[in-house]
Amino acid sequence: MIGVWGALAGAVALLLVLLAWVRAEASSKDSRSDWGASDQEQGESVEACSPEIVSQIFSAADSKFISGLESPGLENSFRRERTAVALHWVQETSAFISKIMRRHLEASRLTADLEIGVEARIILQYARLKLYCGILFVLIGLLGPQRLAGTALYAERIIQRIREGLAEFQLAAHLREPDGSESH
Amino acid sequence: MSAMIKPLPVQEAYEDLLQRSLSRIPCDLGRMLYLASTRDYNTGNYHHDGLADRFSAKVARSALEIAHRQAFYKVAALSLEHLVRDLAAYLESSGENPEEFLRTWQRLEPYRIAIPMDVNATVARHFASNVRLALAVLRLRRESTHSDR
Repeated sequence: MIGVWGALAGAVALLLVLLAWVRAEASSKDSRSDWGASDQEQGESVEACSPEIVSQIFSAADSKFISGLESPGLENSFRRERTAVALHWVQETSAFISKIMRRHLEASRLTADLEIGVEARIILQYARLKLYCGILFVLIGLLGPQRLAGTALYAERIIQRIREGLAEFQLAAHLREPDGSESH
Repeated sequence: MSAMIKPLPVQEAYEDLLQRSLSRIPCDLGRMLYLASTRDYNTGNYHHDGLADRFSAKVARSALEIAHRQAFYKVAALSLEHLVRDLAAYLESSGENPEEFLRTWQRLEPYRIAIPMDVNATVARHFASNVRLALAVLRLRRESTHSDR
């Protein structure tokens, strides 16, 4: 009997997740067509989205301000707008992670002294971040961005560290080049 | 021996721009829109006659571009409540008919053209979305004021 109820609960949970995914996809498609051709490729943004902006996108203060105006229409617009922007941020972040992973794998192929343990840890970290983005994508569709500020900022901090690490790595690689400043 | 450090021309031009032109504009959104208006739609290059005369066209262009990006990121990071106040201040300073202003901005979305080139795509979306919401808030306030009378 418990098995039947368990299976039923699992099916309902799966259905909810699927529903949230479909909703999130629809919102993100809306936002993609909204920006049109002037948009940049996902993950190819020239500048990073600063933590200040991320906290604004997921801000509960803005939601409170809108609620105070007591207009259901405006509240709906706010929820729709913020969900679309938050989903775009998740997609941009996810694309950025994929790009970094591709670059890292390309660089790894050319490295002679590859450390399997370190590589495994890096790949695990990347996979964890991708999973994190997937979960955020579904949860934003399900709960809206305002309840996920802490989670989003945590992900943003990790991405920021990766960006900084990448910048240092690129600088070091540049200095190692024969015409780099170190050789002078 | 003098230990004075001469500021870089672009920095000097930037400070000149802040003091002479931007300080006269009462709100962040207004400053951003003013800076966007100095950009050529076809080439994306910035131009300001006074600044180019005092420095050079190239230096003026760089100073305007930096100032525009900074103004944009400042507006994009504003809370919605603050942006509504800023937009209301801009509307008032424009001297236009509020009803006409709100209708035109909601239909034509001119603020989209004011986004600098090559900024982060999420920030650009967040900015446009926030302005749309701020316009809706101002419209709602106007409508409720009218219905109270």
